[in-house]
Amino acid sequence: MQRKSDQRVRESPEKLITGLMTRLRNHILWDSLWVFLPPVLVSIYLAAYLYHAAWITQTTFLLASFTAVGLLIIGVFMRRRPPSVRTAAQLFDERTGAKDRFITLATVEPSACSPVLFRRVRQEAAQFGDRVDLKREFPYKMKRSFYQSLVVSVFVGILLHLFLPSVQSSIHPRPVQERIRELAQRMMQRPRLAEIARDLQRVASKLEEPKASQGEKQALVEETRKKIEEQNREQQEQQDRELLGHASSTLKGLDQQSGQDTQKDQNKGEGGIQSDLPQEGQGEAKQSQDGGGNNKGDLSAQLNKQTKEGKSAPGDPKEQGSERNQQNKGDEKGKQADSSKSDGNDSQETAGKTQGKSGETGGKDKASEEVPRGAPPAERFYQAGEKGKEGIKDARYVTVQLPDEITADSKGNPTSVRKARESKDRPKVPVSNVPLPAHIPDAPTETQRMPLEYRGMIR
Amino acid sequence: MIEPDKFQQTFARLEGEVRKVIVGHDDVLRKVLIAFFAGGHVLLEGVPGLGKTLLVKTLSHALGISFKRIQFTPDLMPSDIVGTQVLAESNGRREFQFKKGPIFAHVVLADEINRATPKTQSAVLEAMEEKQVTVFGESYALSSPFIVLATQNPVELEGTYPLPEAQLDRFFFKLLVTPPSPAELREILQRTTGATSDDAVTVLGNDGEEVINEMKQLLRQVLIAPPIEDYVVRLVHATQPIAGNGGGPATPVKQYLRFGSSPRGAQSVILGAKGNALAEGRVHVSYTDVEKVIYSALRHRIILNFQAEAENVNADQILAEVIKQVPRN
Repeated sequence: MQRKSDQRVRESPEKLITGLMTRLRNHILWDSLWVFLPPVLVSIYLAAYLYHAAWITQTTFLLASFTAVGLLIIGVFMRRRPPSVRTAAQLFDERTGAKDRFITLATVEPSACSPVLFRRVRQEAAQFGDRVDLKREFPYKMKRSFYQSLVVSVFVGILLHLFLPSVQSSIHPRPVQERIRELAQRMMQRPRLAEIARDLQRVASKLEEPKASQGEKQALVEETRKKIEEQNREQQEQQDRELLGHASSTLKGLDQQSGQDTQKDQNKGEGGIQSDLPQEGQGEAKQSQDGGGNNKGDLSAQLNKQTKEGKSAPGDPKEQGSERNQQNKGDEKGKQADSSKSDGNDSQETAGKTQGKSGETGGKDKASEEVPRGAPPAERFYQAGEKGKEGIKDARYVTVQLPDEITADSKGNPTSVRKARESKDRPKVPVSNVPLPAHIPDAPTETQRMPLEYRGMIR
Repeated sequence: MIEPDKFQQTFARLEGEVRKVIVGHDDVLRKVLIAFFAGGHVLLEGVPGLGKTLLVKTLSHALGISFKRIQFTPDLMPSDIVGTQVLAESNGRREFQFKKGPIFAHVVLADEINRATPKTQSAVLEAMEEKQVTVFGESYALSSPFIVLATQNPVELEGTYPLPEAQLDRFFFKLLVTPPSPAELREILQRTTGATSDDAVTVLGNDGEEVINEMKQLLRQVLIAPPIEDYVVRLVHATQPIAGNGGGPATPVKQYLRFGSSPRGAQSVILGAKGNALAEGRVHVSYTDVEKVIYSALRHRIILNFQAEAENVNADQILAEVIKQVPRN
């Protein structure tokens, strides 16, 4: 009986240490799992997101998910280092206050020491071990590394979640027809807007027709837009108004852009501006295009593509912008569009300026590279506005000449007709703002010549 | 072999008997006893009048073993310590006989050891290390147990001969005897100025020498875990001011030490730790045992440089830094 009890006591501390080692091993396993789990879950979530956004196929999604899980398992096993007996014994000593009895018992070679003393140490250790409950004394606690991993993973996940849609829209822009159709679908759900929705669908279908002329498309867009605006005025419900406003701004952008592109095309071949002004004008023109809205670029590109049969330039991504911009600036842009439409000459001027300036850019660059050889040195010291041997120094002027073809073209094209009608009052001779030479130092830079009939009277 | 419990009881009784006479100095007393059972010698350093000599006398009385005191002076000769050949007449014949010196005792008190010349000091060296003396080419074994308890005064250094490092290294412990606290001083006054005073009783009987030897054997059998041995090795190694030891260039070891501890230092630490464990009723060494004895075992084995002396840095401060720097695991 005594021997049995001794045997129990003798085995007890070693069992405790082994039990603690197993427990610590599990702790390490959990630690590794908790560290790697958040990034793996975030990766799977992102893969699912990309799959739903149709960026990746189902196979890729599954492959990515399995890879993430595989990496998790590998990571856990790579990080898993079983604790040594020494570590476990030392931990036991610290926790139980056994004054290094467990570490002595675990590391001392029994055959190399006195059996009496060894037995005594074992008995003492067993007494300390009896007071210890492994679960209570060594509970599993989440490590700091888990919280760090969690925070970083969630942060990265949120960032990617917010960032991916914008990347998606920039990589795969949706065509206007799709957006119009989407609006139409949303409107269909509201009985009051069903008619408008059908009109919008018609517009979308028209835009897709390759045979339809640009004029037809523009007329349809204009008509639908008017309908929408009328409906918008009558509409009381907020949500309906929002939808209508959205549709209206989309169509406005479409209309405006098509108008601008038409003018551009007209000016490209015929209308001309002769100017020696520096480059600001070009910048303005570009800015006004950008300010025109997102839809303008791609819409115009599409319309032009269909109408000009390969003549026009493809839609530039730079000209695209966000829908929100368009919504916010919708009215303003509408006005701009109206003015550009109503004042055909002005718009021609703008477009012509752009073209002329781009031609000028080449010339200017060339001039800057040239070394003034033939001119006498005094020529360079003339003040601006003074007349030198080669004319007025630094004379800056813009001469706009209306193309003859506009009048001829106005007979067939309704837009051109309107423009031609509106430009009846314009002079048929070239208009110039060439400054007069300044002879008097303090005189204004631009003086008006006195009409001949008044000269005698004033003298 | 004696039982560990009996060791602890005997140890406690010895401490108790000495405490009847000596007030305070508990740590010094314990370490003197540890050194005695570990087979080492002790250097006691303290100003005069702190009870060093009384401590040693009382201890020897409690142990019930022979005690001799040698007052070291500059004119003390080696023969005055180890003994000499004298011409003696026996049975009508004259012949040289060896006259044993005071070193032939179980407990030898070398009082103010630094006052004797190096030649005389070195005479004690052989006795301390070899447990024997050689006179006129003939060796004489010293009795066992044997312990030399040397004292030195750290203040009056004029006309003294500081112990060389080689001799210092032979001392198991160097113990600092500090002045008593006010309470201890009051107790001292009550005991010494009254009509009666207690005397220590001999703890060990006639078989005292045998018991002491058994206790010494038991001390060496105390268990020490390899990780604790590693810790001692790392501690002793960390006292060496060598390249790559102690991390950065500005560690106290590199800055203030000329030489680190010898291997004897590590031996002293482990044996001292074992003695301390037994005294506390354990048969295994713990990390705390090591840290309790390391100052006494190493403070005279590390040699400070000029900078340390100039900046008034002592060995204990450096050892404290070493313990701080060396991790247990």
